[in-house]
Amino acid sequence: MLIEGLMNRGNGALLEQVVNFAAQRHKLLLDNIANVDTPNYRQKDLSVARFSSMMRQRIEERRRNGVASFDDISSEVENPVQGILFHDGNNRSMEQLATDLAKNAMMHNLAIELLRKQFQQMDMALKEKVV
Amino acid sequence: MFDSLDISASALLAQRTRMDTIAGNIANMNTTRNTRGEPGPYRRRFAVFATGRPDAPDKAGVSISKIAIDQSPFRKEYQPNHPDHDKDGYVSYPNIDLAVEYVNALEASRAYEANVTAMEVSKAMMNASLRLLA
Amino acid sequence: MINGVNNFANVGRVGDVAGKNAQSPGETGGASFSDTLRKSIDEVSKLQEDASRAVEDAMTGKTDNVSGVMTAVEKSDLAFKTLLAIRSKLMEAYEEIKSIQI
Repeated sequence: MLIEGLMNRGNGALLEQVVNFAAQRHKLLLDNIANVDTPNYRQKDLSVARFSSMMRQRIEERRRNGVASFDDISSEVENPVQGILFHDGNNRSMEQLATDLAKNAMMHNLAIELLRKQFQQMDMALKEKVV
Repeated sequence: MFDSLDISASALLAQRTRMDTIAGNIANMNTTRNTRGEPGPYRRRFAVFATGRPDAPDKAGVSISKIAIDQSPFRKEYQPNHPDHDKDGYVSYPNIDLAVEYVNALEASRAYEANVTAMEVSKAMMNASLRLLA
Repeated sequence: MINGVNNFANVGRVGDVAGKNAQSPGETGGASFSDTLRKSIDEVSKLQEDASRAVEDAMTGKTDNVSGVMTAVEKSDLAFKTLLAIRSKLMEAYEEIKSIQI
């Protein structure tokens, strides 16, 4: 109980969820890029807006109640309608895909860096030594 | 996470196969005899893409399901002195248009590049995750 | 931990007894020193809260300012390290004084 409380302090759980979401979405975006030339392929994506709003809800909850669980945030694959439908039935948009991939990767890397900083701080406090 | 590299790799393979067919088409643009030496123009080949890797069809990725043969009509030229002319003096040439092949080749090469970049992004993400331990 | 700060107030008082003639700024020693320390702890706590909020905003997409988030995190990190260094120095001093044989 004590150890768990120490581990859940700060934004560790939140950051973990962001990393998982970004990793999941990355695979879908890769699939889209791989299938640019596949006829009748529908683009797949995870809804960032829905994820963000769910996170915000949990954060509000945590602010009110002191604790909140970040564990049960699940995201479902959806088929967004983006770009025009080409003659081969594919609704790709290379620019959109490349941008989404880059932004997603950056969010992932940012979350990882912040997580590392968090662990480092905890490590420092435990070792009672400035690392 | 390591699966991401497989997804992009399948795309690289598919695009390269497509390039091979395009190269074959361009090389055989004026072939009027088949492999056995009998008169029979080369038919244009094209690659058909399908979702799913060749060894794991329900996983993410792309593969070439088959190399189909274009059934559009041959190009006829009036050459009565050509050994392969038909009874009216026309020679049938392959149904390959250089402009179309060139544009397809360009598209394949761009898609290849895009997937290579996607692979670099995947590698960067994995390296960032590994740095968590450092 | 905040209560532990009061223990260090006694360090100032010992110095008082030992150096009666010294007109050092720590003469009214204990109280202001523990106050300063408590204030610093509060400051560190506030910086950490700021950093936490900035991280939350960045992760939920409420802000685009990545450099702002990194700055806030780094500031709180440095403040924490400073406090840790001060604490280590104080512990050292306490140990040293404790081992003074009368």
